[in-house]
Amino acid sequence: MDFDFSFLAEYSGVLWRGLLTTLQFVGIAVVLGLIWGFLLSMGRTSANKGLYWVTTIYVEFFRGTPVLVQLFWIFFCLPLFLGVELSGFTSAVIALSLYSGAITSESFRAALKSIEASQFDACTALGLPQGVQTVFVILPQAVLRAIPNLLSNVVSLFKESALVSAVGMADLMYVGQNIANNVARPIEILTAIALIYFAIGFPLTRAVSLVEGRLLKVVKA
Amino acid sequence: MNYEFDWFYVKKGLPQLIEGLWLTLELTLWANVIGLVLGFLVAIGMLSKVKAVVWPLTAYIEFFRCTPALIQLVWFFFCIPILFNVWWSAEFMGILALGLNLAAFNAEAYRAAIQAIPHAHTDASTALGLNALQRIIHVILPQALILALPVLITNGIGIFQQSALVALISVEDLMYQGRYISTQTFRPIETLTTVALIYFAVSFPVSQAVTLIERRTKRLLAN
Repeated sequence: MDFDFSFLAEYSGVLWRGLLTTLQFVGIAVVLGLIWGFLLSMGRTSANKGLYWVTTIYVEFFRGTPVLVQLFWIFFCLPLFLGVELSGFTSAVIALSLYSGAITSESFRAALKSIEASQFDACTALGLPQGVQTVFVILPQAVLRAIPNLLSNVVSLFKESALVSAVGMADLMYVGQNIANNVARPIEILTAIALIYFAIGFPLTRAVSLVEGRLLKVVKA
Repeated sequence: MNYEFDWFYVKKGLPQLIEGLWLTLELTLWANVIGLVLGFLVAIGMLSKVKAVVWPLTAYIEFFRCTPALIQLVWFFFCIPILFNVWWSAEFMGILALGLNLAAFNAEAYRAAIQAIPHAHTDASTALGLNALQRIIHVILPQALILALPVLITNGIGIFQQSALVALISVEDLMYQGRYISTQTFRPIETLTTVALIYFAVSFPVSQAVTLIERRTKRLLAN
């Protein structure tokens, strides 16, 4: 068995573009997911029963089904429902963002739940109005505590983003498989792709544990 | 929206979907067997003071945790046959990739649980004259299992969902059958929705059970 990694240099341009596409998907899904997830978590902690149930079913459904199924559903079914053409890019962004929103809302919800009752009591004792209480007391603490989870969601999304290759998006995974098929050297190219994913995924994961350790100290202090 | 639903083909294809579900469950089961056993062995190995043991295991865990499951699966599917000159079925490759992926995550769960076991238990084992193996089997394993159980089940059901990826290497699981029927009959909405509901019907009860078990374990530990 002889390996030849030298031909990879030839494809560095395509691989780079694939990686940028992957990062672009992750970036958009993270930002949209943060907004959508925050709104969902408001619904899930709301006293309004209707709102609570709708958001709960949404979140449980997106967490309880494979992302691949969600992606195919959006890609094949949503255009039929809406009666409009959706590009592969749009469907992939929609699918990843809807999933991202579901897992993000759980992070926010857990953070909101972790705030002690004494904080609310203190707000009442200080006579703070509801709005001030939410914005200046609860929100900053919730965001701070949600940070490690939110970061690990970014890692999950980064890994799940490889799925968009299944609907023909030219991300890193897609480009890699394409080259592997063309040059009939799957070992070199797929290993290289895996290493590129690792080179980003590993520091991200490390960063999560680091931030977690730091925040634990801050919150305890 | 003026879409007319037609469930005829879903009803007709239901046996095929059920067959796919069985294969999905089979993949999940075997991946979990590998994940639970290998995960524990890796976690025990990580306790070692020998660097030559810890380093490869760390590399294994981090590599599987930090790359997409899809690339792992595709890598196994295309590269294992060439590297080792073996021709295993796509199903077996799927089980192997999913199992190794799960074992990496489970090893972390076990490790966290083992760390939570008070050090006094090790001292007590020594005082009772248990050897290392006896200590692992009778003292560490039972406690690690109980402590890690919620995470282990969550990971296990995660693999149930990830197993849909094997459809991309043409293993005829639930996802594959659903895609097949939907393209054959031009009824993606009915078919893919049914597939999604089947996945949900399996994973939702399990995730609810985890919440229950978590509460039980907490109470058990409090006593």
